[in-house]
Amino acid sequence: MNSAEQRNDPVEDYVTSLESALHGPERARSRLVEEVRDGLTDSVAEHTCRGLPYGRAAAEAVRDFGSAHDLIASCQRELTIAQSRHTARRIAMTAPFLITCWYLVRTADQDGQLPRTAQLTAAHLAGVAVVAALLAAVALAATGTVARRLPTPDRLPRMVGWAGTTASVSMAVAALALATASALATNWPLTALAGVLAAASHGWMAGSVRACRKCARLPVMELTVEQQLPG
Amino acid sequence: MRQDAVRGHLDGLLLAVLEQGPLHGYAIITAVQERSAGALELRTGTIYPALNRLERVGLLRSSWQSVGERRRRCYELTEAGQRTLAGERTAWIEFTTAIGSVLNPAAPPGFAT
Repeated sequence: MNSAEQRNDPVEDYVTSLESALHGPERARSRLVEEVRDGLTDSVAEHTCRGLPYGRAAAEAVRDFGSAHDLIASCQRELTIAQSRHTARRIAMTAPFLITCWYLVRTADQDGQLPRTAQLTAAHLAGVAVVAALLAAVALAATGTVARRLPTPDRLPRMVGWAGTTASVSMAVAALALATASALATNWPLTALAGVLAAASHGWMAGSVRACRKCARLPVMELTVEQQLPG
Repeated sequence: MRQDAVRGHLDGLLLAVLEQGPLHGYAIITAVQERSAGALELRTGTIYPALNRLERVGLLRSSWQSVGERRRRCYELTEAGQRTLAGERTAWIEFTTAIGSVLNPAAPPGFAT
């Protein structure tokens, strides 16, 4: 197929519009798009085997697939949930980071030189991140095996997005607090290391959290379960 | 048959055609259409997100396999998927028996379709 034919190919148009409209984890998105492309290719092959010319076979295959608008809605819903699970995993994995930070700060502050304000800030931030990690665990369960029996709440991706934002901001504040505290601590290398870990975990989470909030803002999550089914 | 009639039964249909063994997306569509002798009209595109969803909730698992000259994502039932399929069958038999006995009271009990 030359480039001019490719430009007018209904299959390519369909796949391109799907690809450009979908947002979510890159791996999940490309896998879904590839599967749709494979399905369309198979459908076109079946129609051409029955004697239809390629152009008509491609148009038939696209018609059988349903409108791109409907498919985008149901694919995006899956990708939004995939993105929420991706972000929830990252939030949940920040708990070990925090335990390490907390341990390092305690080790560095054995002689009690860190100001009480810094200790309280660290405790509050740790509390926020633990709550976010628990919410993330609930989100993972609600979109996994629990979803066999209970519908996934429409607002869940938004909740994961904001829990992640809170945890991510907490990490950034913790990194600043630890950097300041390291100037006051006797054993400053450990405090500084804790600060670097907090900053790294903030950076690691921030991109995924932004993507989750973006997916959650898309209108498809407002569709009801019944609207996801064909019809 | 109208697509409205399929609504709500898509998961059961997909699980049922995978009972015999792994299939890729388009083969699943073909299997549903062949088993229903073309009576069920599926918008074929909708099965891909549905397969993703069933895999996410643990009723299916998938892997890349060589089919002919191409590598394809093939789906198969998990143990949970087999249990769910058995439950869907039981629920369907009870439902059609109940509806059948109302629509066709002359038919013997258990005559559903």
